[in-house]
Amino acid sequence: MRRWLKRAQSLRVTLWTLIVPPTTWAAHFLFSYLWAAVSCARLGMWARFPTAFVIGTVLALLVIVAAGVIAWQQARTPGTPAPHDSGTEIDRLRFVAYATLLLSALSFVAVVFTAMPVIVLSDCR
Amino acid sequence: MMRGTRVTIIAGAAGALSACNAHQSTLAPFGADAADIRHLFLVMLAGAVVIAAGVALLMRHAVRAPEDRLTHHQGMRLVLWLGGVIPTVVLLGLLVWSLPYMKPRPLGPADLQIAIEGEQFWWRVTYRPPGAAAVESANEVRIPVGRTVAFRLTAADVVHSFWIPGLAGKMDMIPGRTNTLVVRADKAGRYRGQCAEFCGLSHALMALDVVAMEPAAFDAWLAAERRPATATGQGAALFAANGCNACHTIRRAGQAGAIGPDLTHFGSRQTLAAGILPMTTANVAGFIRHPEKTKPGVRMPAFPQLTHGEATAIARYLQGLQ
Amino acid sequence: MSLHAQDDPQLRLEQEERLRAVWKPPSGWFFRWTDVNNNRIGVWYTLTAFGFMLFAGVLALIMRTQLAVPDNDLVSANTFNQLFTLHGSMMMFLFAVPMFEAVSIILLPQLLGARDLPFPRLSAFGYWSFLIGGVFVSGSIFFNAAPDGGWFMYPPLTTRTDLSGLGADIWMLGLSFIEVSSVAAAVELIVGVLKCRPPGMRLNLMPLYAWYILVVAVMILFAFPPLIAGDLLFEMERLLGWPFFDAAKGGDPLLWQHLFWIFGHPEVYIVFLPSIALFAMLIPTFAQRHLLGYPWIVLAAVGTAFLSFGLWVHHMFATGLPKISLAFFSAASEAVAIPTGVQIFAFIATLWAGKVKWSVPLLYASGSLAIFVIGGLTGVMVAIAPFDWQAHDTYFIVAHLHYVLIGGTLLPLFGGLYYYWPLITGKKLSDRLGRIAFWIMFVGVNLTFFPMHLSGLEGMPRRVFTYPADLNIGWFNLASTLGSYMFATGVAVLVVDLALSPTRKKAARNPWNAGTLEWLAHPDDEDWGIRSVPLIESRYPIWDQPGFVAKVDEGRFFLPDAEEGRRETIITSVLDAKPVSVIRLGTPSVKPMMTAVALGAVFILTTYHLYLLAAASGVVTLACVLWWLWDTAEIPEKPEKPIGHGIELPLYLSGPAAPGWWAMFITMMADATAFSGLVFGYYFYWTIHPDFGAGFDGPGTYWPMVALALSLISWAVTVGAREWHSRGGVQPARLLLIAGAAAAIASLFVGLRCLDGLDPKANVYPAIVWVLVIWTIVHAAVAAIMQLYTLARSLARRMTPSHDADLRNITVYQHFFALTALVAYLTVGLFPEAGL
Repeated sequence: MRRWLKRAQSLRVTLWTLIVPPTTWAAHFLFSYLWAAVSCARLGMWARFPTAFVIGTVLALLVIVAAGVIAWQQARTPGTPAPHDSGTEIDRLRFVAYATLLLSALSFVAVVFTAMPVIVLSDCR
Repeated sequence: MMRGTRVTIIAGAAGALSACNAHQSTLAPFGADAADIRHLFLVMLAGAVVIAAGVALLMRHAVRAPEDRLTHHQGMRLVLWLGGVIPTVVLLGLLVWSLPYMKPRPLGPADLQIAIEGEQFWWRVTYRPPGAAAVESANEVRIPVGRTVAFRLTAADVVHSFWIPGLAGKMDMIPGRTNTLVVRADKAGRYRGQCAEFCGLSHALMALDVVAMEPAAFDAWLAAERRPATATGQGAALFAANGCNACHTIRRAGQAGAIGPDLTHFGSRQTLAAGILPMTTANVAGFIRHPEKTKPGVRMPAFPQLTHGEATAIARYLQGLQ
Repeated sequence: MSLHAQDDPQLRLEQEERLRAVWKPPSGWFFRWTDVNNNRIGVWYTLTAFGFMLFAGVLALIMRTQLAVPDNDLVSANTFNQLFTLHGSMMMFLFAVPMFEAVSIILLPQLLGARDLPFPRLSAFGYWSFLIGGVFVSGSIFFNAAPDGGWFMYPPLTTRTDLSGLGADIWMLGLSFIEVSSVAAAVELIVGVLKCRPPGMRLNLMPLYAWYILVVAVMILFAFPPLIAGDLLFEMERLLGWPFFDAAKGGDPLLWQHLFWIFGHPEVYIVFLPSIALFAMLIPTFAQRHLLGYPWIVLAAVGTAFLSFGLWVHHMFATGLPKISLAFFSAASEAVAIPTGVQIFAFIATLWAGKVKWSVPLLYASGSLAIFVIGGLTGVMVAIAPFDWQAHDTYFIVAHLHYVLIGGTLLPLFGGLYYYWPLITGKKLSDRLGRIAFWIMFVGVNLTFFPMHLSGLEGMPRRVFTYPADLNIGWFNLASTLGSYMFATGVAVLVVDLALSPTRKKAARNPWNAGTLEWLAHPDDEDWGIRSVPLIESRYPIWDQPGFVAKVDEGRFFLPDAEEGRRETIITSVLDAKPVSVIRLGTPSVKPMMTAVALGAVFILTTYHLYLLAAASGVVTLACVLWWLWDTAEIPEKPEKPIGHGIELPLYLSGPAAPGWWAMFITMMADATAFSGLVFGYYFYWTIHPDFGAGFDGPGTYWPMVALALSLISWAVTVGAREWHSRGGVQPARLLLIAGAAAAIASLFVGLRCLDGLDPKANVYPAIVWVLVIWTIVHAAVAAIMQLYTLARSLARRMTPSHDADLRNITVYQHFFALTALVAYLTVGLFPEAGL
């Protein structure tokens, strides 16, 4: 486990990795919407136990958590104390990683928000 | 405790406010759904007032605080807790609490169904009581108090929206779709609804009379409404001679036009032209001669060739259709 | 050249002379309008958008006058409907979005220490398109022909030609044209932020305004295209009778609502975030310290951008969609409040930690924050679906949206105006008039819009030209009307303040003592933008880097000269802003203006059903574009040039390092998004019709597969041509390009073959198949034009194996074309066979 976390520190971060967590939210949201549209409008019924939805949601949360853990490792790269706002390569890395971590948190919350209706409403009407 | 008191105060203020308009207000509900939504609103309002005041005070404090009163670390904590964690918890709570309000009222096979079709700029109303023939009407909806009623909402031409603020939230009427709105009135009385989706020139003039009646009175009324019209006279002849029956139905032999509103029991309605004018003979006669003056874009042609006397005769005849 | 070479004042004077000559604006009564410098284009853009705002404001005043008392008949229903439609449309399309682009065109190069944006001519094109489209749309009210279907233009009211007139076409086509220019500006701004930063300005040192611009421009890229797709379907129905929204023939009015609001909700954040960006610039200045929580603000901007695409159905809560679908959007609408809260508290924390210097811009900022918070809280309320069922389409919503837009867009912009006026004109605005205007506006806004919450709850729907006296909402409306006049008075005071500005004397440089790069601007501004491109080591270089201003002014940083007499700026890498190359920028030219006029003619002539003339204008537009492009990606006279401090940079780039490649990539992202809007349409109809496509022969499988194969051949040989060409195989590459163009043209004709026997007027199924196929074959035609253009470049020796930007750019196009063909032909050809 520790070895994996160590390895996470050396992954390359870019603007693309920054948007992995919110993109996962977007994919999950689109999935939820299509799942509801197809099961309510096209099939006209609600799957008794919405297995597909649960699998999709757990998957999305796992991806977001993974992105968050990697970002957390990278944001902890040792060095000067906060605020990390100087023009060094390491502070840029920390910044992107920290922003990714925050986005992971927001995306996690947003996926949980999206899942609430299925738990509370549990039918199509 | 605090919150409870505040809700009461705001509810009181809202009640005082709606005293001036009891027939088309979301704050003066006569239906169970509108009452639920008002409750939802008042709770959210109380929360909003607290939050707005809190942010304003904090802002004031922040601007006045001397330099370096807040360290970087403390500042980040403030952002994390006040900007991130607390809003997340509050919003999640609000979401979970509010979701059950979305569940529609259950509907049984024995419940009254009322089909309403929006047309530019009036409402076609068809009562479909279970196990009995349908009854046609227009521009006025009567519902029994205490019983569940389902509105089946459609649109003939453009998108409209069916909204009786005191009864329940609104529901759009969309060509090609049938939407269902299930409601229950809790208080008898006369109310008003209005088209809420922009539908063209006279969108502002597309209203609806709503009458909530005690169940027994409602059943008697529906039985009466089912009977054909009885009035006769000079106006009846003029009505036929001018071809009014090409568009309007008055349920008697030979008068079966279905383009305009059904007029079978026209005289029993409160208002004219979809809730726009009081039902007076002068108003009806004026509307017959120049409907476009009241309602721009109306599809009924003008009858300027009718004399004042003829128009008045038709108006009297129509008002006699009780 | 060393640091000390710049000690020689004579050398500096000569450099300045050369820079001045290179950046000299064109003169003459006509040619001065062919300028492309961001200083000037940005100012024209801003003034034009401001003018449209005042015009739309006057429309609102007429409406408020009509509604002052019940049963009023000051204006007719017909006029009133035009007034509110135009008011909303103009404020959104002709003020809020263009204003953000205008301000960004002025500020961004300054913020990034660049001489100009990477594509100055594209900015000019955007401006002229905006002006033409804007005058066309807003002028229609003087001919009683303005659109009158509401700014959302819901069909069938607007698509039925018996219920709506020319106004609907003017809206659709005029604003589509402006949407195109908005996308153009987005491309410009994205490439500007990613590639034109000064050396050393890594991602974590970027001014927050630039972050917001990046985010907002990307949002435009994904938000506007669905509306463009919707516009296309809309006009196909209006002009040709293809029944996309006609329920009688299988269409559905709800598809328009989806496409419109997929655009419409992100749009709200597109106009809100730039104003927050202005806060993020001015709050540190008046707190005299770094902004707290920089990554949090970035989180908020990016998070808001994403979440804003999951909100659109909250405009459709009353349409009767399944409750579970509504609930998803309700949840996302709640979640979007979180990043907004983070931003507000980051600002509050910064003010708390700093030493606040009270000033007019800060007054506007805090006042608008107060108004915005109220709008945000009512926003949380209406995000709860059951409450929205009551509030939707009532004056409660009118109140909510105006609190959000005035608190979140208009007042911040006015604050920005007071803050940045010295930067643009060298003069400060009056503190006194600024305060007076603020308080009149602040009270006016609340007096206008607060009572609307109540009139809405008391049952007053939106978009009504009058209301009966017995609703007892007369007092609320009278208060709103008085408030609106008060607000207008405040705006008038502000306009007077602006008008008095020329009589005032110049202010000191950097009058607010700000720390960010844009305040290098000198009161007697030169057209070259920045004297030398600095090396950045801090988020607030003017505060933190010793002797910074003097070093910039004395040309001690990079690119202090224009030896070759060319307009130049430095291109850097995306993450760490390492210098990559020097690019030559476009000079003043009539081409952008002419292209805008020709393209405008296509849209305007189509409005009046003059199809032949419109087609001719289309050909002229294409000719203008090719003529314009011919000068680009020019092969430099020498491979590299020094920029100072011993650094030599190449003068030519191709592939992913080049701004042109990014522009193509970004444009195609927008194009693909529009296409996915159409594909969404196909599958949307499939979900609502159990028997979708039944009873029609359909295009079959054979011809779509042949067309797909040909499209893929066109793509494959282009990729082959690029590879072979880069290894020196010029002749084989030329032959491959010819083969590619032939395949693309062949796919066009085979694609047409798919449509045989399908009558698009009969039903929505053939109509949507037609649209998907036509979209694809138009792309095939463009692919062929590009391949032939590249061939011509090669033959004219404007493209060689070491200078192959054209070929690399069209390969990007081909990737997207192949994807489009794949999705389109599999959808129309194979999906019906799947038997779902």
